[in-house]
Amino acid sequence: MSTQRNPPSDRELWHSLAVEPSVRPPAVSDMDFAAWLEGRLPEAAAARVEAAVASDPALRQAALELADILGMPLPAAPPRMAVRAQALVGAGTPRQAPRKSWVTALFPAFWEGFALQRGAIAGAAVVVAAVGFMLGGGLGETYVEGKYASTRAPIVAKPFGRDTINDLNDLFSDNT
Amino acid sequence: MTELSQIDLQSLAAGHKRTWDAFVAAASPLINAVVRRALASYRLSEDDVLDAAQDVFVRLCAKDFRLLKTYDPARAGLSTWLAVVSRSAAVDFMRRRRQPTSPIDDVPEAALAVEDRHVEKLKIPEGLLTERQTLILKCLYDEERDVAEVANLLKIDAQTVRSTHHKALLRLREHFKDEAP
Repeated sequence: MSTQRNPPSDRELWHSLAVEPSVRPPAVSDMDFAAWLEGRLPEAAAARVEAAVASDPALRQAALELADILGMPLPAAPPRMAVRAQALVGAGTPRQAPRKSWVTALFPAFWEGFALQRGAIAGAAVVVAAVGFMLGGGLGETYVEGKYASTRAPIVAKPFGRDTINDLNDLFSDNT
Repeated sequence: MTELSQIDLQSLAAGHKRTWDAFVAAASPLINAVVRRALASYRLSEDDVLDAAQDVFVRLCAKDFRLLKTYDPARAGLSTWLAVVSRSAAVDFMRRRRQPTSPIDDVPEAALAVEDRHVEKLKIPEGLLTERQTLILKCLYDEERDVAEVANLLKIDAQTVRSTHHKALLRLREHFKDEAP
């Protein structure tokens, strides 16, 4: 009686081996996967996708399904599917960027969002400060007042109410 | 009816209603087929399948057509990319809902086999097989696909699949001649 074993079949040999790589291949993007399915990737890139497909049963299942579907004539979809999907994008004109005034058109995009609000507040503050400054006479007048203040007659404090009485007397007197 | 390849992508990404409608009409059969196949094992109602397909369209036009704008026509056809995106969306749709069930007859035997945990498998050294050889052997033996299906997947002829398979097994037998069962 021979003790020599029959060699395993190809399938038995394969199932007796552990195939999983020690390092899991990186994830494959949809675009790379699509390019690989079409056989458009260069060899090195294709090898990366093939390693990922070989190590991930879900990705392998996806690849086999998609390769099958893409090679066959497709039945029509239920009309309801298209009707619902078409309703996702509204009728009317295509979306456009909001119209800009000629002032905002002069400035780049940093005017948008928070930058716009901050800029508007800062601008308003500058305007208020400038107007207030001008109403107050500006730097020149303040300087002159400061310089010549000592040459003016000193203000003499008058008793309370006296000026008002004199002013009223002047107003109603006949010697105008 | 407009073909998918005839869709003006710039107009589509700009949100033109007419282009979107033409795109939906052209893409619906493909999205319908991909979603149905991906969800076949879940035994869903027709309404659920339509919801899953709608989910694909929602993804495509959401956030100012952001996903659609990632498509690069120089790298792959719109149909292929759309099929990939649709399948991912369908799988995500089901992940949010429930676990899949498969009729036992549809599951490959290898997946059902109870593994003897006392048997320590021999590890294939890195680099012994190419990625393509590994993929072909996995498709043939783990997925139980035939040579024609693998050839269709890899866009090569069936004879190349057979020859790659043969070379891979020669390498394995040579490497494990003293160790394999």
